[in-house]
Amino acid sequence: MSIEPTMNLFVKKTGGWVASQLEACTRCGMCAEACPYYLATGKAEYAPIWKVEPLRRAYEQRFTLIGKLKVALGVEKALTDADLKAWSKVDFEACSVCGKCSGACPMGIEISSLIATVRAGITAAGLAPAGLVEKTEMQMKCGSPNGMCEDEYIKWFDSLEEKTGVKAPLDVKGADMLVVYTSLEIKDKRHNLYDLAKILNAAGIKWTISMDARDAFNMGSIIGNPKVQKELAGKILNTAKKLGVKQILVTECGHGFTTLRDAVPNVFGEELPFFVTHIAELLPNLIKEGKIKVKEGYFKNGHTYTFHDSCKIQRQGGIMDEPRYALKLLAGDTFKEMDSIRENGLCCGGGGGIRSIPEANENRLAAFKLKLAEVEKVGADVVVSTCDNCQLQLKDGFKHYNKAVEVKGLIEMVAEAMI
Amino acid sequence: MNTQTMLELARGPIFYGALLFFIAGMLYRLVTVISLGWNKDLAKPRGDKATGVVKSFLRGGIIFPFFPREKAAYARNPIVYIAGGLFHLSLFIVVILGAAHMLVWKSLIGFGWPTLPLPIVDWMAAVGIIAMVALIVNRMVHPVMKLLTGVAEVLNWLFVFLPMITGYMMTHHMFLPYENLFVLHMMSINVLLVWIPLSRISHFMFYFFSRTIHGVEWGKRNAMP
Ligand code: SF4
Ligand code: SF4
Repeated sequence: MSIEPTMNLFVKKTGGWVASQLEACTRCGMCAEACPYYLATGKAEYAPIWKVEPLRRAYEQRFTLIGKLKVALGVEKALTDADLKAWSKVDFEACSVCGKCSGACPMGIEISSLIATVRAGITAAGLAPAGLVEKTEMQMKCGSPNGMCEDEYIKWFDSLEEKTGVKAPLDVKGADMLVVYTSLEIKDKRHNLYDLAKILNAAGIKWTISMDARDAFNMGSIIGNPKVQKELAGKILNTAKKLGVKQILVTECGHGFTTLRDAVPNVFGEELPFFVTHIAELLPNLIKEGKIKVKEGYFKNGHTYTFHDSCKIQRQGGIMDEPRYALKLLAGDTFKEMDSIRENGLCCGGGGGIRSIPEANENRLAAFKLKLAEVEKVGADVVVSTCDNCQLQLKDGFKHYNKAVEVKGLIEMVAEAMI
Repeated sequence: MNTQTMLELARGPIFYGALLFFIAGMLYRLVTVISLGWNKDLAKPRGDKATGVVKSFLRGGIIFPFFPREKAAYARNPIVYIAGGLFHLSLFIVVILGAAHMLVWKSLIGFGWPTLPLPIVDWMAAVGIIAMVALIVNRMVHPVMKLLTGVAEVLNWLFVFLPMITGYMMTHHMFLPYENLFVLHMMSINVLLVWIPLSRISHFMFYFFSRTIHGVEWGKRNAMP
């Protein structure tokens, strides 16, 4: 194994955007106090800025006089393979790339973006966790990271007709909207297809699905492999262009949404000819605009609801008001807010691919405990989320700690409350 | 060499040499970072980037000291928050609003400004010194800060602390003759001026980059920076 691919990637990534932020860090340690993995375990090496250390060293040693001097004087060692191996455990097993740390940094450094670069460097060295490598290979082979290959999707899409009487709108040219699901839904939330069809049809939206753009999941974004990211996202981009849609709707995927909306234009060097939206944004807007009607207070049924802000959809996606609008309408005053919400939302502990790394189970469940404490404090027995991966982690966590808390998605709630 | 000559040197050619090094060094740092290149962001913004930047600076520079966004995080490491804040405040009051320092500025840039009464400046200097002591103790005992602290961080602290303590001793005529303290004060400032471009104390310049980036990123999503 060689350090060269990592160094090349770091050098390629080091523009002024990265360098100026690395230079701004005062090593004050405040970012640690926001990180769920550090807080849950107390391990100093889980401090967000420590996760950026390989990139800082590479940058300083390659681009700055003082960095070169430090190596020459022996104050600092050049980055080695062994270092990357050690940091692989930290950056992948104790970080969900949730971005909470950047809100705590007095300098406003976008630490999680820098961590994503470190992860890419580790991946380039072939040192990414085996669980993630396996999922990446699987997605490259069959289109979805968890083995939901084409035939499974065909069966799922076909089942729409049985369930709703409406045929699946496959590859409809000139449709308004291309809907892209995730392989987590086909596995664990098959009803999302039927529920969303009911909503979109009621709203009079001309929508389509495509076998060429069947999974928003992007293992390239998760593991930090730019080539994989480009290839997978390219399929969706090209399908949307081919069909001439005006919008892409990502259903319950978080990173898939930000990849398409924020990364793809820069990866392909072009502004997108369509709008990328998420159900967390679309569904409440459909209600607000009167395109669908829901029974107000439908979920005022003796339960207490709370909303889990997902890192990619809410903090990094900016869709914070819309789901709250819908929930207030549906659950009224039985909807209660936790302590850490919106931009300050607390990660469920299961993002950034950490759920596919068995070695990280302990960290993942420890981080979940912080979320659990907030859910319990607000007295909620139903947690609503607009991200599939978060929902799985929340269900897992509540089960692990023996808590009778239900987890619901927004799609199913809106579909159920529709009149 | 007598003290008087040393003082003349320390506040004369050595000071100007250090100042030149500081300016050239900071320019070098600035140019090297900028010349690494900046990519245009082609993603469609959901919110307004300019609003994000304004909010980022408001929060970072003005509102932050009182309402940090991640309140819980600040409460977990209050020493960094409180002592760090007081240190920066003290620095501003003593170096900008202290009469003696204002006169140095005036001689350098040609104009002056109203200053604060000496007792206030003096108290703030003491506050700054206490804050610095708290910061280094915290750095030595907090597990994360220990991990983040190398030789450079200790030198940063030392080279900032020396001008503060010698300046304070000077105003109070403590321990050594005034002139000797003046020499020490000037020399410690000279060392600091040379050290800043070589170290992370230069964060005051890159702060404007990181805060702007933060504002752009969060404003773009229509989130609160
Ligand atoms: S909070 Fe910001 S400035 Fe402080 S150590 Fe973390 S990244 Fe650096
Ligand atoms: S992105 Fe989230 S999980 Fe990762 S270091 Fe920052 S706060 Fe911790």
